[in-house]
Amino acid sequence: MTTETTNTPLHHSRRFGPGGWETGLGHALMILASLICVFPIYWMIVTSLRPENAIFSTRLWPDAASLDNYAYALKAVPITQMLVNTFIVSIAVTVIQIFTGILAAYGFSRWKFRGSAILFAAVALTWLVPLQVVMIPNYLLVARMGMIDTLGALILPHFASAFAIMLLAQSMRSFPTEVIEAAHMDGANHAHILWHVIVPNLRGTIASLAILIFITTWNEYFWPLLLTRSPENSVIQIGLQMFITSEGTQWGPLMAASTMASLPILLVYLVLQRQVIASFMKSGLR
Amino acid sequence: MSDISLSPAAAPRAWPRLGRMYRALRPYLYLFPALACFIIWIYEPLGRAFLLSFQQWNLLPTSPKIWVGLDNYRNIFDLPKFWQALGNTGWYLVGLLPLTVALPLAIAIFTQDLPARSRNLYRALIFVPMIVPPVVGAAVWRWLLDMNHGIINLGLQSLGMEPVGFLSDPDLALWTITFITGWKLIGFAMLILSAANAAIDGSLIEAARLDGASRWQVVRDIRLPLLSPTILLLVLMVVLLGAQWSFAYIHVLTEGGPLGSTSNIYYLLWQFGFGSLSVGWSSASAVILFVGFGLMAMALFALKARFTFHDD
Repeated sequence: MTTETTNTPLHHSRRFGPGGWETGLGHALMILASLICVFPIYWMIVTSLRPENAIFSTRLWPDAASLDNYAYALKAVPITQMLVNTFIVSIAVTVIQIFTGILAAYGFSRWKFRGSAILFAAVALTWLVPLQVVMIPNYLLVARMGMIDTLGALILPHFASAFAIMLLAQSMRSFPTEVIEAAHMDGANHAHILWHVIVPNLRGTIASLAILIFITTWNEYFWPLLLTRSPENSVIQIGLQMFITSEGTQWGPLMAASTMASLPILLVYLVLQRQVIASFMKSGLR
Repeated sequence: MSDISLSPAAAPRAWPRLGRMYRALRPYLYLFPALACFIIWIYEPLGRAFLLSFQQWNLLPTSPKIWVGLDNYRNIFDLPKFWQALGNTGWYLVGLLPLTVALPLAIAIFTQDLPARSRNLYRALIFVPMIVPPVVGAAVWRWLLDMNHGIINLGLQSLGMEPVGFLSDPDLALWTITFITGWKLIGFAMLILSAANAAIDGSLIEAARLDGASRWQVVRDIRLPLLSPTILLLVLMVVLLGAQWSFAYIHVLTEGGPLGSTSNIYYLLWQFGFGSLSVGWSSASAVILFVGFGLMAMALFALKARFTFHDD
């Protein structure tokens, strides 16, 4: 991101620079792409605010904003409870994955030990196993534990994340060893070094990891779909589906519920836009 | 250990030994929580799925599991539905690659000279679909594409065209779902590619220009080779995860229909397992899927390793 401004040589900008037809076309392309990406979300919010008799209106603006759809959606499905559940699950998974990630990353980056390469490969290869492949054994395990239809079962399989471990191990490996040695000289033990020397210095990485895990968990659909029996014990993604029936879809309430389901994420994005983008990019640039 | 506990005189010597043992075990203790999770929820179930693929069972604890050997595999290979889903999985990838690799690549290269400020705005807007929950994405597109009242079909009608059954026409539904999956990812792909593109050393391009290279030659001979590791990474992600990402859209929008035209191998697994409760079939197709994708991943990793020397 820092290279953006340095990357435009002088004579180059004379030929293709601001005002050139290529720049104009570039803007046009980006505006079109932005519209395609944002309009559906905009339309969702606009539709959710239309009163029932204007739900099929095609005006790009809501004439008379109404919260009827929200009231209806909240009454038809226990959305508040489901939002709270989703929040609990997302926060729990974020905290736990970062905790287990920090421990494992320290283990991998601090010591050379027998089997470390194999164990690291075992971590890295987990993403080759899609959830669909292990869904039946996992479902059976949850059933044996008597945890079908509980929030705990939504959290348990997400106790550790390979991506968190690898990202944290990478940043711990590049942590200056002199600082750690100095702490050792002062008689600090490993736990102290990890939690009071290394972790405070990795705040940035941990924060962007937390954003990524929170959003991913909030959006998760497949695993809750397997385990849900009652709406009160489930997450908001499952609740949305209840407005889509084979007899027809209640568009207004569905759009209202969809808006409520994405609102927390969109708010996070509005406030921490740069950090959100940066943390997603980290997940791709390994 | 036993000889130590026998004689009290040896006790003091036991402590350094315990200390050594602790020190040898310490790395594993730090790894334990994460590895235990992976073993319990990923590797052990993988083995279990493998075993279940040789059995016949309907998921009810009271009914017996019957060992049927390779019958599940044989039956699946005889099933037209399986080949249809496998073919569809391929079509999803064929459709997704241009949308999530080629198009973002072209846009990233084409828009590299836009001023940083407007580019940051576009970047923020284009990224929105990536963070929206997949179920919300599915619900919104269902509304936009609705046959009677969706704004896209109303727009087409106002242009004098017939309404299009984007999700109900067997020839179209798969491409509609491919498009929605791509819509979700295009911003992400573009960001990764433009970051890699911006990281290319400007002096290389300057030098080529001074040597009289045309704009297209710069793209072909400098940018594309230098971007190839990133491109391969994206291809790897799309190939391995693309069909998986479309699960939510398939489930919410078409449930694999019409006429199985949008079902892919992941969705078939789900239908076998939790639709028709045939654990054996579901597990057998899970094993086929895992092996197939493992081989593809290895091939792509090998390809990526060959290209990565450009990276310095």
